[in-house]
Amino acid sequence: MRIETCYFCSSKVYPGHGVTFVRNDCKIFKFCRGKCHKAFKRKKNPRKVGWTKAHRKAAGKELAIDPSFEFEKRRNVPVKYSRETWQRSLDAIKKVTEIKQRRENLFVMERLRQGRKVEIEMDVKDVQRNMSLIRSPAAGLKERRAKEEAEAAALMDEDLPEEEITYVDARELEKKLEEGLSPEDMEMIAA
Amino acid sequence: MGMCQRRKKMHYGDTHLQRRWRVRNRRRDLDQIDDDLRTRSGELINQSVDLEKPGFAQFYCVHCAKYFIDDTAMQAHFRTKVHKRRLKALETEPYSIEESERAAGRGSFQKPKKRVMETQPSKEEVSAGKRIKIEEVPEDSNTNDEQPTTSTKQSKRSQKMET
Repeated sequence: MRIETCYFCSSKVYPGHGVTFVRNDCKIFKFCRGKCHKAFKRKKNPRKVGWTKAHRKAAGKELAIDPSFEFEKRRNVPVKYSRETWQRSLDAIKKVTEIKQRRENLFVMERLRQGRKVEIEMDVKDVQRNMSLIRSPAAGLKERRAKEEAEAAALMDEDLPEEEITYVDARELEKKLEEGLSPEDMEMIAA
Repeated sequence: MGMCQRRKKMHYGDTHLQRRWRVRNRRRDLDQIDDDLRTRSGELINQSVDLEKPGFAQFYCVHCAKYFIDDTAMQAHFRTKVHKRRLKALETEPYSIEESERAAGRGSFQKPKKRVMETQPSKEEVSAGKRIKIEEVPEDSNTNDEQPTTSTKQSKRSQKMET
């Protein structure tokens, strides 16, 4: 008795379960349940259906490339029975399964950690962008305005006596120009 | 004029689809077509006369696995969306039983290869020796190679792992 693999979702098919379809070119397709069989009949591509193993591995959701996957395979090579080999392979299976499990878990955790990092970055950005929602820009506006006004008033008081208006006689200015002052002097006068 | 009017039929169901999905109406799968393209495209394009088939099996589209009644119909088909969609679908290597095994953890995942797909050559070209070629598109160098995190020591036991 062999535990088969479902063609569509790559899950285990235990003896007495599922459907087998033999295509007219002798290829054997095993299905774990009606859902998979139906999807096959509808010519769905398992790579594009989210819940299949093929999709999850192609999309990088699970550990896909690892040397620990190279142990379990259908090799189609008969092995002569020996008690020692049998015993040792049993031990190896346990060891390999354990290692594989650990690596798969590690991969998933790394992936999730990455997501968490992105999430934090997004949150920081969100807060920066919407700072006005947390603290209103109008908070303390009255106090600030009052302070500014007070300052301005103080300045005004100081500035008042300094301002003096000088009057220039236009005719005299023209005369001076005609006398031939250099343009630099002109600017000085204008200023 | 009667009191009860016949209700309008809003939904026509999917009976017509269910019929198409029956196993007896099954058409060739993509992996079969892929095999055809690689191994026997020449003999499929230049088939001997078969009175049972449409157009006596003289006008066959290998990509869509379909017979046409004459050359005009076939040329028209090459311009349709159905045919172009099929070419597009065949650009990636089709899913296979081996891939389902790999996905189940028997062997490492292999990325499906990308190919260039073109409409088949005409019969004259085929008899002159031209065949459908499937050229693989070289992979981009920017694909990120996922290095497995090897924190644990690999047990170097070349034992047979019987399933």
